[in-house]
Amino acid sequence: MAGATDREFAEAQEIAPVPESHVQPSPPSAWRQLWIWLNIGIQSFGGGAATLYLIRREAVERRGWLSDQEYARYWGICQIAPGINILGLVILIGWQISGAVGAALALAGLLLPSAAITIVLTALYSRIEQVPLVQSALRGVLPATVGLGLLLAVGMLRPILSASRKEGRVSLAVAWALLLGSVLVVALTSAPVVAVLWGTGGLAALANWQRVTRQRRAS
Amino acid sequence: MIDALLLFWLMFKAALFSTSGSGNLPILHQDLLARGWATDRNFAESLAIGQISPGPSGLWVISLGYLLDGLRGALLTLVAIMLPPLVVLAINGFYRRYGQHPALQGFVRGLSLAVSGIFFVVLAGIMKTAGWNVANVLIAAGAIGLGATRRVPVLLVLVLAAAIGILLN
Repeated sequence: MAGATDREFAEAQEIAPVPESHVQPSPPSAWRQLWIWLNIGIQSFGGGAATLYLIRREAVERRGWLSDQEYARYWGICQIAPGINILGLVILIGWQISGAVGAALALAGLLLPSAAITIVLTALYSRIEQVPLVQSALRGVLPATVGLGLLLAVGMLRPILSASRKEGRVSLAVAWALLLGSVLVVALTSAPVVAVLWGTGGLAALANWQRVTRQRRAS
Repeated sequence: MIDALLLFWLMFKAALFSTSGSGNLPILHQDLLARGWATDRNFAESLAIGQISPGPSGLWVISLGYLLDGLRGALLTLVAIMLPPLVVLAINGFYRRYGQHPALQGFVRGLSLAVSGIFFVVLAGIMKTAGWNVANVLIAAGAIGLGATRRVPVLLVLVLAAAIGILLN
């Protein structure tokens, strides 16, 4: 969810500006690092935004492991990297602290508590899944999940569409065409989703490149 | 019968060829439904559990892994989603050089457009499983209304929905 996390990131940025110049402290011990990441992992109830805020506060503001600029750059890298963006971010930060060990500690610390809780919750759920009361509760939860999913998708779309609108009518039309095109292709054909994702990405890359080139020529 | 190695590969592939914690959803939805390993309901259940668990919201797939193949499924999913983000270490230099290139920025934008577009298709599938009736549409609309305020915790929205489900029965 590149869009939503962009916004989350912007919000996290506003909380406290950190001075550019900072002294790189010597890296904390492995146990200390693991402890810090575990703490972030345990506290991060409330989804990606909360986790992101805790990471920034700890890595930039409290520990001074990296500067504001580095943090922004790292987050930019994670937007184009595969998988969960926040995992990419902690890998980069961990690597900066103490190489491969630091990255492994960061991943383990962040994931262990939240993955364990996710597993326990799912295990509890699958134990009581067949209970009639749970079955009827699920009848309400299912459509609510659809509603929350729609919010997520719209949250992803909104920043892209508004950025396209600012670039002009053509950009906006291209964005809508790609959006509707991907919906239709997936709904009506059995084209592999990976191909649709990358195909849409490729078309958007060409469109944006051409737009910027034309703009540069005009000015 | 679920082949553990194949499940691992599908989870890994979905995360490797997409970005963010929900980009893998459309890919998994296609792959797992086609094999008959998962249902629309499994997706809704794991998304709901993922919403109330701490940490990155992308951990919903761990819940999906558990629903499909128990603890083994959850653990192999955990490993499968830890590996793709390691690519960040390799693209540091690439990003320094091309991060601001219009083609790359366009690509990321197109990827998000397609992910959210396919999301609508997946959600329509889940809604079909639940049943397109007045009560369900109202519950979905209520969840959107409460969620959009950003003040009501997701857990509360889901608990309310569960209570409505029980009352309606």
